[in-house]
Amino acid sequence: MKIPTVYVVDDDAGVRDALAWLLRSRRLLSECFESAERFEAMLGDAFEVKAPSCLLLDVRMPGGMSGLELFEKLQARNLVAAMPVIFLTGHADVATAVATVKRGAFDFCEKPFSDNALVDRVEQALVHSAQVLAQTAEQHVVAAKLQELSERERDVMRLVIDGLPNKLVADQLDISVRTVEVHRARVFEKMGVKSAVALANLLRNQTNWGE
Amino acid sequence: MPPANARAGPQNPSLTVQTGITMAASVMARRRLLWLALVLLVLALLGTLVWLAGRYETDRAQTALERDAQDAAADIRAALARNVQSLQALQDVLPATPWSAEAALLLREHRELVHLERRDMALVVLDVAHTAYRAPVFSVYARSNVQADLGAACSAAARSAAPSYSNSYFVPQSDGLGLELLDQCVPWFAQGRQLGYVVATYALTGVLSELVGKQLSRRQHVSLTTVDGARLAQHGLPVNGARALVAHQLLDLPGNTMILRLGAERGVPDLFPNVLTGLVATMSLALIAVLVLLARDTRRRLRAEGDLADALAFRKAMEDSLVTGLRARDLSGRISYVNPAFCQMVGFAPQELLGHGAPAPYWPPELVDEYQQRQAIRLAGNTPPREGFESVFMRKNGERFTVLIFEAPLINASDEQTGWMSAVLDVSEQRRMEEVSRTGQERLQASARLAAVGEMASLLSHELNQPLAAISSYATGSLNLLQAHSPNAEQDIRLAMHRIAEQAERAGQVIKSVHNFVRRRDQLREAIAVQALLDAVMPLVALQARKLRITVRTDVQPDVPRVLCDHSMVEQVLLNLARNGMQAMDGTKFSERVLRIEACSAANGTGAEPQQPAVLFSVSDHGPGISPEVAQQLFTPFFTTKAEGMGLGLSLCRTVIEQHGGHLSYASRAGGGTVFSFTLPIEPIDAAL
Repeated sequence: MKIPTVYVVDDDAGVRDALAWLLRSRRLLSECFESAERFEAMLGDAFEVKAPSCLLLDVRMPGGMSGLELFEKLQARNLVAAMPVIFLTGHADVATAVATVKRGAFDFCEKPFSDNALVDRVEQALVHSAQVLAQTAEQHVVAAKLQELSERERDVMRLVIDGLPNKLVADQLDISVRTVEVHRARVFEKMGVKSAVALANLLRNQTNWGE
Repeated sequence: MPPANARAGPQNPSLTVQTGITMAASVMARRRLLWLALVLLVLALLGTLVWLAGRYETDRAQTALERDAQDAAADIRAALARNVQSLQALQDVLPATPWSAEAALLLREHRELVHLERRDMALVVLDVAHTAYRAPVFSVYARSNVQADLGAACSAAARSAAPSYSNSYFVPQSDGLGLELLDQCVPWFAQGRQLGYVVATYALTGVLSELVGKQLSRRQHVSLTTVDGARLAQHGLPVNGARALVAHQLLDLPGNTMILRLGAERGVPDLFPNVLTGLVATMSLALIAVLVLLARDTRRRLRAEGDLADALAFRKAMEDSLVTGLRARDLSGRISYVNPAFCQMVGFAPQELLGHGAPAPYWPPELVDEYQQRQAIRLAGNTPPREGFESVFMRKNGERFTVLIFEAPLINASDEQTGWMSAVLDVSEQRRMEEVSRTGQERLQASARLAAVGEMASLLSHELNQPLAAISSYATGSLNLLQAHSPNAEQDIRLAMHRIAEQAERAGQVIKSVHNFVRRRDQLREAIAVQALLDAVMPLVALQARKLRITVRTDVQPDVPRVLCDHSMVEQVLLNLARNGMQAMDGTKFSERVLRIEACSAANGTGAEPQQPAVLFSVSDHGPGISPEVAQQLFTPFFTTKAEGMGLGLSLCRTVIEQHGGHLSYASRAGGGTVFSFTLPIEPIDAAL
């Protein structure tokens, strides 16, 4: 597991520095950016979230890209799930805040904030990020295993997950029961499971496994 | 205004037209009658002139004829007298030549004589001589038959020793006709003794043709008649009928009297025979021509008159239907003309205005002096501004209203100024509309100001939030470090404390800049009249008062001095207090809905402070008063009892007043409600001088 990182984007140097200081006092690593443009430049074109991370984003940054615009760009790049965004708002613009949360922001925090509560939310976001990363990694593994299955094995597996007994599977695929049993054993072996229930659990989070 | 009022001037248009038509018809008839009379008179005059000319002509001809007749009679007498001499000469030559030879010679010379004889005293014929020009006259009818009168004539001649004449007598002749003859008896003397008579017989026709006829014209006719009119002889063509002129002349011969009748024909083309008639005719023609010209001119004049009347009627209708009031004044300032719109505007009848000098009845009494002055300037010849000027007029019922006046010199046809013409527009309605829209605009400005305040508050909160957030973060972080008992904590915390100090400094800067902004406004203070302050806010106050059905009373002490203030800020304070007061009275349970705004002189400062002269403003309402809980927080910023309020009003008011060096306080009113009052310093005495 890599070191969790908190990205801070705020145009006010004092606030940036103070936040970094606060996070450090809770043993959290932070990276500060003075504008949305700087942050975007750091991301580059092919950024992938590798370590659990979180973004503290100021809504209002006069003279440049606003927090909301940056958020929309990150959403378009599918980065928001792995890198939750917590908005910092200077004045309680409830409507804006609710809209951002509805569109997928992790939370919003009103300035001046109750600092440790904010750090608590940051930690929760990092945990969430870690979970998302783990899930993603597991999905990658299962997908690799699925790649190894033959066409016929995949057909058999689909019917087995649906809970059909071998006899019915054989009738459906117009093959002998014996052949079904062989295929089924090979699927269990390749997927690294011992039962049909375990196989179904493994594939539950897998959206696309070779139709 | 109902349109029926505008038509009140002329009572009934159709009736007027009807009357006009009948009047025009009667005028036309009379005019025609006059013309007819004139033509008849002229014709009569012409007729009379022509007739008189004819009469004159006839008279002249008659006179000429009379003269001719006289001349003729005289000629006859003279010829007869000459013949007498010849006859006497005939007697004297005797006896050297025989009488008959001499007599024959005489007869040859005088054709009027037809027969000569010499008789003795007893009238016995001695010698006889006949004219050679005709047969002897007594050949048919013997001489002896026709000498009855001769005796009388000869005896008369003998008595008077002068020739005498017999009566004329008719003697038939051998040619079947007859002759009217006259005997002339001349006594015959020899050596002083009468021997007898020489009798000469005249043919009357011969007398006329020989003695008169030669001098007469062809168109004249001469005849001899007896005294009682029987014609004896004639010469020339007889003239008769209407055209004949006749002159009678008595021809009295010794022993015989006849009448010479001279007739003449008046010439047929005698109508214009002479200059007079021609002149009269020419003049008549000229007169008729002049008449025709006159008639044409009159017709043209009538047409022009009609056009003029039409134009005048159009002008009048135009002036009557005009909404703009028109007023003309002569050079001495008296009103010489007003149109119905003007009368309607001011409510006076035209006869009440016309001829009225200054002060005009529609001048408000309180402005008479100013208007007199203005009129004096105008009458001195100063042209008013082209774009017009505003003035206040008074209706008859005392109502004042604003008018826009355009005035221009009134120049007559000969380029002389005869007065001033003014167009007067009633702009009171527009002014009212403008007032309403201005009030609306002021309300808009007020809300814009409020929005600006909101924007500023938002900006301010952001500016303050940033350092506060940072301070909070440093503090929390430091606490975290202290709790964790980490080894390098002290150094980190020291750093954090530095940062906290920096951020606190930054927040202080924000506050200071706000303060500076407020201080800059101190420069804007000026001396201003208390009434002007109230006047500035009254439209807005009145607007809300009308909405809430509240009466607003203002009472400014008459000699109150001017105050030194930033008027827009103080106006805001007054407005806020008035609004609060009115909102306190909003609701049906308060029967006495009166808001009182008062200003009077007072001493500034409280307690031990030196008393400064000041003006005390107070705004009192009849609302429910202020409860003790509310009173505690009354001046706390952002504390409000109103749903939509920001809670800044009263605290701002107090700040503003205190910045001006005044004091804002409140108290309960004796009869219920609240009085808010504040003081403002008056303008320094030296500045006032």
